[in-house]
Amino acid sequence: MSLQFEAERALGAFQYSARLAAENELVVLFGHSGAGKSLTLQFISGLMRPGRGRIALAGETVFDSARGVNLPPQRRRTGYVVQELALFEHLSVAENVAFGMPKHAGRGRVRDLLALLDLSGFEGRRPRTLSGGQRQRVALARALAREAPVLLLDEPFSALDDTLRHGMRRELLRLRNDLGLTILFVTHDLREAHFLADRVAVFDGGQILQDGVREEVFRRPASRRVAELTGVANILDGRVAGFDADGPVVEVNGIALRCAASAAPLRHGQAVAIAIRAERVVLRRGPDGHPRPNQFAAVTAEQFAFGSTHTLRLRPAGAGPAVEVELAARPYDVLQGASRRDWVVELPPADLHVMPAD
Amino acid sequence: MRVSGDRAATATIVLLAAVFTLFFLLPFAGLVDRAIQDGNTWELLRTETVRKALVLSLWTSTLTAFIAVVLGTPVAYLLARARFPGRAVVDAFIDLPIVLPPTVAGVALLTAFGRRGLIGEPIEAWTGFTFGFRTTAVVMAQLLVAAPFYVRAAKSGFESVDPQLERVAYTLGASRVRTFVRITAPQAWPALVAGLVLCWSRAMGELGATLIFAGNLEGRTQTMPLAVISAFEGSSLGLSGAVALSLILLAAAMVVMVAFRLAAARGSTA
Repeated sequence: MSLQFEAERALGAFQYSARLAAENELVVLFGHSGAGKSLTLQFISGLMRPGRGRIALAGETVFDSARGVNLPPQRRRTGYVVQELALFEHLSVAENVAFGMPKHAGRGRVRDLLALLDLSGFEGRRPRTLSGGQRQRVALARALAREAPVLLLDEPFSALDDTLRHGMRRELLRLRNDLGLTILFVTHDLREAHFLADRVAVFDGGQILQDGVREEVFRRPASRRVAELTGVANILDGRVAGFDADGPVVEVNGIALRCAASAAPLRHGQAVAIAIRAERVVLRRGPDGHPRPNQFAAVTAEQFAFGSTHTLRLRPAGAGPAVEVELAARPYDVLQGASRRDWVVELPPADLHVMPAD
Repeated sequence: MRVSGDRAATATIVLLAAVFTLFFLLPFAGLVDRAIQDGNTWELLRTETVRKALVLSLWTSTLTAFIAVVLGTPVAYLLARARFPGRAVVDAFIDLPIVLPPTVAGVALLTAFGRRGLIGEPIEAWTGFTFGFRTTAVVMAQLLVAAPFYVRAAKSGFESVDPQLERVAYTLGASRVRTFVRITAPQAWPALVAGLVLCWSRAMGELGATLIFAGNLEGRTQTMPLAVISAFEGSSLGLSGAVALSLILLAAAMVVMVAFRLAAARGSTA
């Protein structure tokens, strides 16, 4: 394992307690600000000391409260890019990159890194003369120069405009593939998390609520709170009405919804919540002749245009829940979303994820 | 109506600024005028008394500035970065000599290091060494009065360096010393140079504390400002001597200021 992490610390009323392991993958630490994401990076880098716990980097124990081990940041093999970048403005780009380089590395290594990050020709420039995207890449190159197996990135793209962000994200994925690094990436941006993550760890109030493969976390949130944090628009309250061959059947607002099988054991009559993302809801103009489960009639109550997508808030025409649906621009036009308000809604069973009620 | 009101305001501002500027220029014009009238400034500058005072002033001030840097830099850094018990007290005491009349500093030095002083007395009893009327005392007086200017400037210089830079340097494997030398000090450089110049200039001009603690002995404790006082009080140099000495101090100050501006400009573009 490149990273094994377990730490606890009380900071006033804030109780931090988390456990994480990673191996050659990009783990997005996701959550609101103040959830404990950045703190995790500080614990790993050694800039802050956990109250209790154990941290190992590439097999080497760098912190162990039980054995009194606490290596200083200098001796921990991490590359750390802080949110404000903290470039050394009085040094040139090449000097910035070379700053943390091991002694044995030659000048060629600086050149290679600058080439890798598309910064060739900027060696002698001062950081402040560079654009935002170039500055980000300098910070990244400086962290990579440390030749550390674990890269810690604290919202490194937050200051960039969208075009630059896309470029930087692609670059980061390329680096992970080429260099085989373990990367912890802190963000509160859902789209960024979607785009980058192999795995997602959802932070809230100093705890990791869920840690898993990206699709797993986004489509099968462990709790209502995770569903809320990860932007699940539809969280429907219901009660277990029975079980069929594939999974539980949950009654919501007078209709029975067949749901995906749940890992947690469920009882008949148990109160539950169902999560389905807005982009997983199927809309039709009318019944298409095939018998389908989980269909009900609904009417547009509100709608919002976001250019490439449209968000529709639907209220049920009879029985069934109110739902939020996200449609891409093209299907929205084909379905005449702007002029017609009556719909047949289908909630595909595989996308209906049952969670504990609270 | 509106426009004429603006004109009146502008005229008032220019007038006030002119009066103030004139007030600063006239004394120096007076010095130069007097020196030209006297006509013997050059000969006076070559007298033994003036030469000794000049040499003494130059090297004691330089030594003072050096000691201020060596001892003051760690204090400034700690005050800027560390939180420790008694920090506010240390901070206040280092500021004290800036607001205190230098004569009080001189008396205070006497009560601590003088022959009957707090530790001056035991030191004399054990070793026979006394501080008073020696060049050592000149440097001590200058240090007490001038070093705070360096510490103050260095402290705010270090405070202006983002601690995040140091933290990042640590994660890049740099020791605390290397981080200080490569990151913190260069970033704080303009402030450090400013503090050094202030400290040196203040030491050059130190009068009150030196007079009281070190005395006014030609060749040993008589620095330039003391020589000016002596000239006024009727020493062989006379008023013309005072004018000549003042001109030298003025010239030295000008040179330092210009050099400082150049250094600062360079530091900020580096």
